[in-house]
Amino acid sequence: MSLDIEFVFNVLIFPGFTFIVLFTMFCDWVERKIEARMQNRMGPTYTGPAGVLQPLADFLKLLTKEDIVPSDTRNFVFRLTPLLSFSSFVFTFLFLPINGANAILSLNFEGDLIFILTLVSIANFFLFLSGWSSTNPYSAIGATRVLTQLLGYDIPLFLLAFAPAFLAKNLNISAIASSQNIPFALLIPWTFVLFIIALQAELEKDPFDIPHAETEIVGGYETEYTGRRLAFLKLAKDVQIVLGAAIVVELFLGGPYGPVFFGLSTFWYALWFVLKLLAVIVISEYLTCVFARLRIDQVVVASWKFLLPLSILSLVATVAVGLWLIPMAGMV
Amino acid sequence: MTNIENEITALLSNRLGEKILQTRTLQPDKICVSVDAKSHKDALNALLETDENAGLSALTGVDLGKTIELMYHIRTHGIIVTISTEVPKEDAKIKSITDLILGANFHEREVADLFGVTFEGHPNLKRLILAEDWPKNLFPLRKDAEIVNPNIAENGNVSSSDEQRSDDGELVNIIVGPQHPALIEPEKFSLKVDGEIVKEIEPRIGYVHRGVEKAAEKRTYLQDLYLVERICGICNACHATCFCQAVEAILGVNVPPRAKYLRTLILELNRMHSHMLLLGHAGFEVGYETLFQYMWRDRETVMDIVEQLTGNRVIASFVTIGGVRRDLPEETIPKIKAQMTALKGKMGFYKHLFENDPTFRMRTKNVGVLSKQDALKLCVVGPVARGSGVNMDVRKDEPYAAYGETPFNIVTYSEGDSWARLMVRLDEISESIDIINYVLDNVPTGPYRIRVPRIVPAGEAINRVEAPRGELFYYVKSNGTAYPERVKVRTPTFANILSFVRIAEGGNIADVPASFVSLDPCFSCTDR
Repeated sequence: MSLDIEFVFNVLIFPGFTFIVLFTMFCDWVERKIEARMQNRMGPTYTGPAGVLQPLADFLKLLTKEDIVPSDTRNFVFRLTPLLSFSSFVFTFLFLPINGANAILSLNFEGDLIFILTLVSIANFFLFLSGWSSTNPYSAIGATRVLTQLLGYDIPLFLLAFAPAFLAKNLNISAIASSQNIPFALLIPWTFVLFIIALQAELEKDPFDIPHAETEIVGGYETEYTGRRLAFLKLAKDVQIVLGAAIVVELFLGGPYGPVFFGLSTFWYALWFVLKLLAVIVISEYLTCVFARLRIDQVVVASWKFLLPLSILSLVATVAVGLWLIPMAGMV
Repeated sequence: MTNIENEITALLSNRLGEKILQTRTLQPDKICVSVDAKSHKDALNALLETDENAGLSALTGVDLGKTIELMYHIRTHGIIVTISTEVPKEDAKIKSITDLILGANFHEREVADLFGVTFEGHPNLKRLILAEDWPKNLFPLRKDAEIVNPNIAENGNVSSSDEQRSDDGELVNIIVGPQHPALIEPEKFSLKVDGEIVKEIEPRIGYVHRGVEKAAEKRTYLQDLYLVERICGICNACHATCFCQAVEAILGVNVPPRAKYLRTLILELNRMHSHMLLLGHAGFEVGYETLFQYMWRDRETVMDIVEQLTGNRVIASFVTIGGVRRDLPEETIPKIKAQMTALKGKMGFYKHLFENDPTFRMRTKNVGVLSKQDALKLCVVGPVARGSGVNMDVRKDEPYAAYGETPFNIVTYSEGDSWARLMVRLDEISESIDIINYVLDNVPTGPYRIRVPRIVPAGEAINRVEAPRGELFYYVKSNGTAYPERVKVRTPTFANILSFVRIAEGGNIADVPASFVSLDPCFSCTDR
C-alpha cells in the first residue's frame, strides 16, 4: 500500500493518534467523575461542560511547567522513558480494530494477539526503567514494585488471553473480535472475571495500586518527574488504562462489532467500541472504589497461589467447553 | 485521700524511711514525695512494685532558682503519685530511669533538651526537640535563659543532611518526613530498609516546636487558656478542660454542675470528631479512599453540632476557668439527639465494614502488633493501650466533669494490632453517642459559669483528662500572681510515639503508614 491520504488520516486522526489521545482524556474524565460520585464528591466541574476538559487542561498545564532533571539521575534513560512508554502504548493501540478495522490496515497479521500482549509488557518495562533511572529511594522501590507485580500477573494475563483465541481458533485479534456472535464474556464468564482481576493489577489500580502508593512511597516511579515528562508519563498511564479496557473489549465483548442500524458501519462500530469500553472502565472503577490497597507480598502470594492456578484451570475449562461448544455451529 | 493513696504513702515511708525529705500535696489531693537525687530510683522501684501496670505518666522539670526540681509522675492503680527530687543547676546530673521504665526515654530527652539535665545511663541522649544548630548551653525552660535572639551561629551550621543520605551497606535509608504525603505534619522518621522490610527506625520530633510551655509563663491564666487550646486543634476542648481543672484546683473553686455536664458534652464531641477523622485517615493510608471520603462526610455532622453549641467549628473556646462560656439552648437538644441517632446507625455500617471487608482486614490485621507487656513497658496511653488490652481510662480511674455520674463502658481489644486500635476508636464513637444522649437527658439546670479571681494563690496542681488520643497530663504551678510559674503539658502522642518504633521494626514498609496511623499521632500536640 502506498502512503496515501486515507492511510495518513487513519493513523494520525481517526482511529489513530488523535482519536486515541482525545478518547483517553475523555475516559480519564469518566473515571474521575465515577470515582468522585462513588465517594460522595463532585469530581471535575469547572473546565468545559461538566468538567470534561479537565484532563486536557491538566495535561496542558503540566506541559508548561518547569522541566527539572535531577543532577544524579541516569540522564539518557530518565529523559527518554516517558516518551518511550507513551509511544509504545499508543503504537499498541493502533493494532486494535476500533471502527471495524485497525489503524494500520496492512499490519493485520496472524498472531498479532501475542505481539500486542508482548508490547504491553515491554511498555510496562519502560515504566520500571523510568523509576529505576531516577536514583531516588521512593522511585527505586516503586520501580521494583512494578516488576514484582509484573512477575505476578503477566503470566496469568497471557494464559487468560488465549482462552478467547482458542474459542475463535485464531490468534488474530480482529478475527477473535469478529467471531463473537455471543460475547465470550457470556460464554466463558470465569475467564472474563479472572482477566478483569489480572488487568486491575496490570493497570495498577486498587487493590493493586502498589507501585505508586502515595502514602508509602510518595509518587513511586513518577516521584522525580516534573513538567512535560511527567505530563507524558501520566498520559502514558492513562492510555494504558484505555488500552487495557480495549483489549477486554476485543477479547471478551465482541470488539467494535454490533448492529448497524443505518448509514456507515464505521460510525456504528466506533460507537459500539466506545460504549463497551466505557462499560469496562465503569467495572474497573467500581473495583477501585470498593477495595483497600494490598501489600506487595500479599499480591505476589495471591498471584502465584490463586491467580495462576485458577487461570490454568480456566484455560482447561475453556478447552473442555470449547470442544463441546464449537461443534455446535452458529454458537460461536 | 483514698485508701490506695494512704497505702502507698505508708508503703513509701516504710521502704524509704529517712530518705524521704518531705511529703507535700499537689492539688487536688495528690501525694508528692520528695527524695534526694541519689535515691529517686529506690522510690520509683518501690512504687513500681505496688502495681504491675504502673508506668511513668510524665516527667516535669521546674526551675527553682538554684536547683532544678524533677517530678516523676507515676501512674499506679489509676492514680498519680509524684516522686520529686532536686538537682543543682550548675551540675545538673541524675541517673536515668530508662532501665526501670523503658517509656521514660523520650521524657528524659525532653527534659535534657529544655532544662539541660544530663541523664546518666540514658541509651540515646540526643536532641529531641531543639534544632541541631540551637546553642549548646541555652536551655529554654530555665528561668534565666535569654532566648530573645539566640546565637545560632555559635554552634556552626550543623546539618543533619549528611547522615540522611548515607546508606550503610545493604540497607537503604528512607526518610519519611519532615515532608511526606503520609505525614500531614512535619516530623522525621529515618527508616533503614532491606528490600521491603524495615530494619530500624529513628524518630526525630520537634520540627514545629512552639515553646508553648515557655510562652504560658509570660501570659495570664486567662490568656493561657487560649494558648493551650491551640496546642492541638482537634482536641482543643480537652486541653482547655485539663488546664481549667488544674487552675480551679489551685483556686479551690467548685464548678457548677451544669457546667460539668456541658464540659462532658464538648469533650465527647471532641472525641467523636477526632476518632472519625482518624478512621477516615486510616482508610486513606491503606489506599481505601472511599472509606476516607465517607467518614469525613459523616464527621461534618459532629462539626455542625460543635458549631451550633459553641459558635466555632474547630477551636471551640467553650471551656473557661469557672465553667463554660455559653449555655446550651433547650431547642437544640432535640436536634442534636436526632443527629446522634443518625450517626449511631452509620457506626453500625462502619463496624460491619471494618469487621468484614477483606482487603481492609488484610492490611490491618496482625499488622503492627504491640503486646500488652510492651504497651505497659512503653507507658502508652489511650486507645493504643486499650487496643493492647490495657484497661485504662482517666474517665473511669479519676472521674472528672460529669463522667462519675455517666454510665459508659471502657472499650478494650486484646489483639494489639492496628485493626484492634482502630476498632477501639470505632466502638468509642458509639459509647460517646450514648454519653452525649445521657448528658442531654440529664443536664441539670442552674448557672453554667462562676466568676473566679484573676490572681491565683500560690500552689501546685496536676490534672488529667482522657483526650481522644489518651491521657492528657497538665502540671500547673502558681506563684501567687496572675501569671503561672510553670505549665507542663504532656500530650498523649508524646507518650505513644515511642511505641511506633516497636511496632514498625521488622515489618513491611507498606505497613509503616498503616501501623503509624493506628497510633493516631498528633505532632502539633507533640511539639508543644
